[in-house]
Amino acid sequence: MKAVLVDLVRCMGCRACQVACKAWNDNPGEVTLCLGCYDNPPDFSGDTWSLIQFNEVETGEELHWVFTKRQCMHCEHPACVSACPVSALEKLPDGPVVYHAQKCIGCRYCMLACPFDVPRVNWGEVLPEIKKCTFCADRQLHGMEPACVKACPTDALVYGEREELLAEARLRIQKRPDKYANHIYGEKEAGGTSWLYLSPVPFKELGFPELDEEPVPELSETLAVYGTPSMLVGVAAALGGLYWFTKRRAEGMAKQGKEE
Amino acid sequence: MTTVTKTKKTFSIADLILGLIVVAGVVLGIIRLATGLGPTTNLNSSYPWGMWIAFDVFTIPFSAVAFTLAAVVHIFNQEKYHGLSRFTVLMGFLGYLMVVLVLVMDIGRWDQFYSVLMPWRWNLHSFMFEVAMSITLYFGVLILEMLTIVFERSGSPIVDWLKRLIVLIAGVGVLLSCVHQGSMGAVFVILRHRVEPLWWTPILPVLFLTSALFTGLSVAIFLGVVTWKALGKPAPMKLLSNIARWVVIIQAIYLVLKLGDLLLAGEFGLIFSSGQFSLLFLAELIIGVIVPLVIFGSQAGKSEGGLVAGAVCTVVGILINRWSISWFALNPPPPPAHGVPMTYSPHWMEWGITIAAVAAAILFYSLAVRFIPVFRDTVTGKAH
Repeated sequence: MKAVLVDLVRCMGCRACQVACKAWNDNPGEVTLCLGCYDNPPDFSGDTWSLIQFNEVETGEELHWVFTKRQCMHCEHPACVSACPVSALEKLPDGPVVYHAQKCIGCRYCMLACPFDVPRVNWGEVLPEIKKCTFCADRQLHGMEPACVKACPTDALVYGEREELLAEARLRIQKRPDKYANHIYGEKEAGGTSWLYLSPVPFKELGFPELDEEPVPELSETLAVYGTPSMLVGVAAALGGLYWFTKRRAEGMAKQGKEE
Repeated sequence: MTTVTKTKKTFSIADLILGLIVVAGVVLGIIRLATGLGPTTNLNSSYPWGMWIAFDVFTIPFSAVAFTLAAVVHIFNQEKYHGLSRFTVLMGFLGYLMVVLVLVMDIGRWDQFYSVLMPWRWNLHSFMFEVAMSITLYFGVLILEMLTIVFERSGSPIVDWLKRLIVLIAGVGVLLSCVHQGSMGAVFVILRHRVEPLWWTPILPVLFLTSALFTGLSVAIFLGVVTWKALGKPAPMKLLSNIARWVVIIQAIYLVLKLGDLLLAGEFGLIFSSGQFSLLFLAELIIGVIVPLVIFGSQAGKSEGGLVAGAVCTVVGILINRWSISWFALNPPPPPAHGVPMTYSPHWMEWGITIAAVAAAILFYSLAVRFIPVFRDTVTGKAH
């Protein structure tokens, strides 16, 4: 299982990753507004699948200016994949969560199901597609690292095996506990993600959702796998039984009526 | 038909107005399909679902009118409701027709809707799949039931054949509907991070099924009174009061389930501490459950006015409930640190197509009742 370790302590906010993503995926630039900050654009869109958010966080006496690279987290148990009625979203064995446009019916359930609010559509298109980071599944297929990782000048993004990157992340926290918050985001969140984060400040301050270890789709899938068939059998049996019972009673009453 | 009935067989001004709204809706529908969701809706990434989804989520329990009465007639063998069940099948058929048409408007890739019909693409983990499949299959059942009714007296061998299979067809319809109404609620289970806690619970499928049962029966009561009165006949009060008794029982169960679930989850306080959501929740419970319980459970439930009032309150309550879960209380994600929070209120074309769908259902229902002999004769007592 491949993964990327994002070390926000190392990131200097150059946005080379953001540009590399656009270049590799042929995504056009966006007309953006000055929002009084460096975020540009401030959120994902159909044309922007990877971006840097700039967070000013005060911890005690220190002010941290944290540059947060955001993209699809490529969950190990993706809610979008579980939600999609027609298997248009797929978790590849190597890690990427990819989208097959030719299967999609455009119901947008994936957009709501994602706990990280990642999938987007280009609302202006007549026949839109779901757009999000692909983890450069096409590059990975040919043994290349994702475009954003390739572009990163400070090794804030490192591509590799998930287990090895987790070990590396633990080592970095252990070596410099003063620099890192003691938390690898994505190790356990929502059952684990293929993108892992280290941060100088608590992740809550950066707007990362606080998720427990249970995969988001777990309850829903349990209901689908056990609830639906039990309900089918139970309701069918109940209906059959009631039909038989009321039929006999009606016949009995008719017979009684005749005898009288 | 040789029998002369006094019921009006001419078009009225109301037909004309409804017809014009439907034509306008068809034009808007073509514009929507030709230009995409962007120019015709106010949907955005924070609100990927809007009025059209909410319309469908409400119209599905409304259309439970067909399967609840089908169960009464064909499963519980209550022949005396057979006449009424013709109208409930008609309403259910029109309801699902509107659900399907509005769904086609809503899905971005309507050109690829056939994806749902390809078994190798089915995702059995997805409740959206279950809903899509149930709508398709159950709509097929409703078409067969409609054919059986409309061509009842044609003497065609196909209809005779359908009539002989009607218990099986209706049984499959009831089974599909029970699963379907439940899975409509289960769609929101995976959206826990979006649904306001006051509404989110793992028993959503049970609540959706239970409330669909009493909503369907209430719509049957409403149709019974209004259709019979419109055709100048006294409503079949005995039958309708009996149905109202069932509504009382199911609504009481629903109330216990809903409040009991909140109590057991330790979330009872949310009913009063959720701000504007508390108002929505209380409105739903008071208008949709408590008032109908009082009306149907008292002497008022034995009068035509009382029956209509109780049924209308129930339907309004379920409208509030389904629109809360699929729209008002389906919260947007937290906005990005420096982004502008997005809002949603329906585009005028979303309103237009929704209103046209409602108008179409009313128009087709009233036309069918007036112009298709079997419906008219049911009311005038000439058809069994």
